[in-house]
Amino acid sequence: MRLIHVTALVLLAATGAAAQTIPSEPITFGEGRVVLSGDASLSISPKDEGFFNYSNYEQTTLRQFSVGMTGLFRLSDRLSLLGELRSDNLEYVTALALYARIRPIPDKQLDIQIGRIPPTFGSFSRRGYGHDNPLIGIPLAYQYLTSLRADNAPADADELLRMRGRGWLSNFSVGNVRPEPGVPLVSSLTWDTGVQISSRWRMITAAAAVTNGTASNPRVSDDNSGKQFAARVTASPTIGLTIGGSFARGEFLGRQVRSLLPAGDRDYDQRAGEIDVEYSRGHLLVRAETALSSWRMPIGTSGAAMDLRSTATTVEGRYAFAPGWYAATRVEHLGFNRIAGATQTDEWEAPVTRVEAGGGYYVQRNLIAKAALQINRRDGGRVTRSQLLAVQLLYWF
Amino acid sequence: MLALTAIVPAQPRLGAISGRVQVLRTTQPAERRPNAADFGAQPPREIPDLRRAVVYLERGPAAALESREPGRASMDQRNETFLPHVLTIDQGTVVDFPNNDRTYHNVFSLSKIRKFDLGRYASGKSKSLRFDRPGVVRVFCDIHSHMSAFILVFSHPYYSKAEADGRYRIDNIPPGTYTVIAWHEGEARETKTVTIPAQGGDVDLDFVVQ
Repeated sequence: MRLIHVTALVLLAATGAAAQTIPSEPITFGEGRVVLSGDASLSISPKDEGFFNYSNYEQTTLRQFSVGMTGLFRLSDRLSLLGELRSDNLEYVTALALYARIRPIPDKQLDIQIGRIPPTFGSFSRRGYGHDNPLIGIPLAYQYLTSLRADNAPADADELLRMRGRGWLSNFSVGNVRPEPGVPLVSSLTWDTGVQISSRWRMITAAAAVTNGTASNPRVSDDNSGKQFAARVTASPTIGLTIGGSFARGEFLGRQVRSLLPAGDRDYDQRAGEIDVEYSRGHLLVRAETALSSWRMPIGTSGAAMDLRSTATTVEGRYAFAPGWYAATRVEHLGFNRIAGATQTDEWEAPVTRVEAGGGYYVQRNLIAKAALQINRRDGGRVTRSQLLAVQLLYWF
Repeated sequence: MLALTAIVPAQPRLGAISGRVQVLRTTQPAERRPNAADFGAQPPREIPDLRRAVVYLERGPAAALESREPGRASMDQRNETFLPHVLTIDQGTVVDFPNNDRTYHNVFSLSKIRKFDLGRYASGKSKSLRFDRPGVVRVFCDIHSHMSAFILVFSHPYYSKAEADGRYRIDNIPPGTYTVIAWHEGEARETKTVTIPAQGGDVDLDFVVQ
């Protein structure tokens, strides 16, 4: 017999638990027929004096506590119900999504979704959840509030120009004159109601929808007897590369304002188009998107109208430089067309340029700590510049 | 890690431990997180076998360790599932992670004994890693949150992954008294003590994992 010393294996629960200490998997009931997942995020930043990050819920996306719960109920091979409840700062609870998903032929990738459905337009809305957003802020196109409202219209071009850079609390003199937030180019925080059909074939995914609202003003109920048609097509010609394009056209102006205008068949609509690309390889992920929107808005009550256009371009990148660590940057610009008033000619809304840079650390697989510095420049408004340092803790299961 | 002092005969007769692990606890593979933002339902995926337990000696004598050359092993990524779900390897083994899906995967681990991030690589490609420290490595995919697996790295050869029917067998164990552990899905579920007599021979040892 001889005495030997051996390094021993210690497989304690703590070893495995070291990497996973809080629940990470969705909750399932009824043999997988009911699946629940959730997320919670706490974002902290200094006060956003320039209202650059305010959303249509009158809250800044850099300074809030947000919780959400998503449920999937599989009633059969052909029918599922999906819902998502969200609350920001625990002030209210909204049903962001609530719809039925029908798959007429179980083994064919053709789905029909009816109810409060996910946005068809754009790419960000499908990855807006914190863990797929490498930074803390939301891209300008999907969050920044312009001065336009569906229930309120300017009396003339000068009134519109005077509202530049004040979209978080806008009001004009035609329609509902109570000050309220304007609309972003595309809303990612509110979803529309209607019917959506989608299918996949090889590298192509296509979806089309008819809904009550528009890309910038999704609605539960119809407020103007006009429907929006939206379509999106994506192609993945090679693994890691996805190219997408979307189009949407819908009646924007609410009947409250329309009733003040001369009778006629003029459309006061929003038309929007966008293209996006995502490429990833190794530890690098790059995304770019350009979205264009045109609102046809009445000017006063004479029946005159003008096209108000906006273009948003976003480029973002993420690089994982060590296990659990990544750095990210987003550069973007939101621009507007020029209009002529009685005293000045200018962009109808103040252009905004934003750079956000930061990074994240995976405390565990489903718990991320992020930090980012966001720099905003705006060509108008009371506050034209801001630098906001934000941190966020995000958990999901 | 612990140091072990064991008494081994110069030319010991070797024994074996065998038996059955009965897994009574209910385990379900992780579901995809429901994503209300999806255009439609996701295609079905491979269901990993979660009932496989691993039985091992908590501490083992060194002789066999020194005589074994670490080899290669593979953990496949197929149909959005790591296969096998539990991989048992010797310390020093190089593990290949081939991607056999038509989508990217990004294999990573935040486990203390082996942190890594292989990045995204396409179908037909593979990346490899050497595992030099014993312990449990929890493996994930950064893109597909429902993908997870375990790699158990051993500093000795006295371990066995149970078959589908729960049967296991650990051979060539020198005489002595050992702590035997049945592990299942991230935790040491049951611990027993067993003695391999000086004349060697088989010892039956069953486990029930609650």
